Amino acid sequence: MNQPLAGYAPAPVAARMENHGNHMAKIAMQTGNDLLARVGSMVAYEGFVQYEPNPPAVRQIAKDWLTGEGAPLMKCSGDGLLYLADYGANVVVINLNGDGISVNATNLLAFDAHLTWGVERVKGLAKFAGQGLWNTRISGQGWVALTSRGKPIVVDCGGGDDETYVDPDALVAWSPNLKVKGKRSFRAQSLIGRGSGEAYQMAFSGQGIVVVQPSEDSTDRLRVRG
Amino acid sequence: MAREFQRGHKARISDLTAGTDLYVGVQISGPGLTFDISCFGLDADERLSDDRYFIFYNQPKSPEESIQLLGAQAGDTESFRVTLDRIPQQIRKLSFTATLDGAGQMSQIGPGYIRIVAGGEEVARYPFSGPEFSTERAVMLGDFYFKDVWRFAAVGQGFDGGLDALLRNFGGEVAEEEPAAPQQQPQAGAAAPGFAPPAQATAPPAFGAPGGAPTPAPAATPAPAPAPVPPPAPAPAPQPAAQGFAPPPGATPPQVHTAPTIVAPLNTPPGGSPVLPPAPAPAPYGQPGHQPPPYGRTAPPPPGYAQPQAPAPPPGYGQPMPPPGYGHQPPPGQLPGQQAPYGAPQGAPQGAPHGAPQGPGVLGALQQFKETPTGQRWTQQNKKLVRVDLGIGGQPVLARQGSMVLYQGKVDFSYKGAGFSGRIVGNATGQEMQLMRCTGQGQVFFAENSTMLHPIELQGDAVCVSAENVLAFDEGLQYEVRRIEGHGIPGGALFTMQFQGTGTIVVKTHGIPVVLPVTPTTFADCNAVVAWSAASQVVVSSQVRMRRNSYPGDTGESVNLQFRGAPGNFIVVQPYEI
Repeated sequence: MNQPLAGYAPAPVAARMENHGNHMAKIAMQTGNDLLARVGSMVAYEGFVQYEPNPPAVRQIAKDWLTGEGAPLMKCSGDGLLYLADYGANVVVINLNGDGISVNATNLLAFDAHLTWGVERVKGLAKFAGQGLWNTRISGQGWVALTSRGKPIVVDCGGGDDETYVDPDALVAWSPNLKVKGKRSFRAQSLIGRGSGEAYQMAFSGQGIVVVQPSEDSTDRLRVRG
Repeated sequence: MAREFQRGHKARISDLTAGTDLYVGVQISGPGLTFDISCFGLDADERLSDDRYFIFYNQPKSPEESIQLLGAQAGDTESFRVTLDRIPQQIRKLSFTATLDGAGQMSQIGPGYIRIVAGGEEVARYPFSGPEFSTERAVMLGDFYFKDVWRFAAVGQGFDGGLDALLRNFGGEVAEEEPAAPQQQPQAGAAAPGFAPPAQATAPPAFGAPGGAPTPAPAATPAPAPAPVPPPAPAPAPQPAAQGFAPPPGATPPQVHTAPTIVAPLNTPPGGSPVLPPAPAPAPYGQPGHQPPPYGRTAPPPPGYAQPQAPAPPPGYGQPMPPPGYGHQPPPGQLPGQQAPYGAPQGAPQGAPHGAPQGPGVLGALQQFKETPTGQRWTQQNKKLVRVDLGIGGQPVLARQGSMVLYQGKVDFSYKGAGFSGRIVGNATGQEMQLMRCTGQGQVFFAENSTMLHPIELQGDAVCVSAENVLAFDEGLQYEVRRIEGHGIPGGALFTMQFQGTGTIVVKTHGIPVVLPVTPTTFADCNAVVAWSAASQVVVSSQVRMRRNSYPGDTGESVNLQFRGAPGNFIVVQPYEI
């Protein structure tokens, strides 16, 4: 009966975080090495893992979040294997190893609790109300899992003065040392309701990378569907 | 789903399949070329210390039958059955090789592959072709090797000297010391039709004697050579069979040679394709000692689940070992005594299951998603992202509004109106595109809603695409709305966009589309068809009876389109009905 499914058994653990397929993250949990994950992203776990939504430490750091309803993160602790997914989005697992990365809110899936992290607002860019624009800057020695609707692409900003413009809805993550600003591409025509559809973009310049997803669907499904 | 390997890629077998009973197929061919495909069972030092594990056409299986040669079948030039958990301890590596028999060089080969089939399903494939090689006469295609667990590596390494260089690589000295051993080729047409090498003049001994050079062996004892062999190389039978690459002369070879029924009927089709073996002798395919299972004759189960004596557990999990990687870890509640606890990395660091080599750090982890640089105007970055370099070609691009996800350089986006008549037509036909014009210098990345993108390059020809499936196209293309007439269509007619000229159009589909050649009987649902080459003629065929349609709520498959045209035309259908 299980014959066709036999190939989907989990592979042996080789690292703290791994991909299981393209759309699921497998995290090896250990006591003392807690994890912060998006509320609602857990799809399965083995072992003894406990979840604490909206922990006080997170509330402290994340008080900048525009949403008045508390941080959409939960602390996972215990021993076992934890599987996370976000409505079929691609999952990208990164071993930071001292680097840093800025992640768009909806594209953050989980990260090690001991990492240095903070919430920042992108200056000069007020995104749509109700969605809340916050992005999380994470750095240190540890692991981060991101989501992307479709296989993402990584673009090098080049380092010169040239700017790279990204549709904010398609933006996933970027190097924290990039300079960010908003760019409005208004033209006279746009004002009378015939815009190009690309009303404004985020402009990045400096040395670093930008990660973009092939979809402009930036709804936060974990939050919308709860 | 088969995983495609590139040269140098490695993966654990357990990541590819849970089974350990594998079918390995090799397809290699070239005009006028003949190949010997063999498998070397090597020890931990990568030496062929036991020549019984040199599996080739004269020795079609290892002693305990963990490696068996199956012959050509199912599109493969040669095939093997490998039962990993029965391979003895001293064999740590299986190297699959192809060597040229006769004249030629590897650069002449056509596209080929080595593939692994488990449970009737292809799980890995490493394709190669002639341009990867040059004057080599042998090539190591792929390895199974044991490092903590069995792994597969796509090697693709050529050897200039052909088989003897390969032999020296694996066991060196032997070829020199005992050049004459195995000359019992059935050259006189003695026997063994099933695996006789092509009876060329110097039927090169696929082993032993280097390149057919008649090294003067101790020719003193031209003793009981089996066949009338050319003078210089009779098997020195009394000599102790030191380390020949042949079956030790004397006892065993006749058995192999004169008993073709052992070899020939092992034509087990993988996955049960109905190729019957030519000589249905009871092949000892499964476990020896059991009654010979009628493997390969009565709709066999796919290789990989065929252990005849495993009745109880569900196949697939029925391998004596639990699914790899699962039962190895202690249950979470257990004290982490005997094994490493959950978090501790075990064994060599292994990449994500999709095989991406992962280095540490953000850049290392994201390396696999890097932008692919090319100098072309349109570049597909991955299945769902396409990049246009506006600087090349110089003409603007028209794209669906809002489909830009990223751009670099100085690019201007402006509204592209359809014009007055265009709007009238668009409103009337539904074939309306909300477009923007991208001008300037720079690269623009397009994507929409994770749909798959397919750049189609038009060179003077034309293609019909439904307007909602157009993502972007070169402004130089002409497009117009075309009408498909037919009875029974709601609204009286169907409309589509026809693009013509020289340039590229990017078509998007939901899911992986199917591209069908237009034959006399090609039909498609008008809601699922995405595009077709404009030279094919479209006919509406409504096959649903009115009576069914008259029930409320039952739409059925109301309107089908039939396509007719000369060979070479195609249609594209997506697995999604708008």
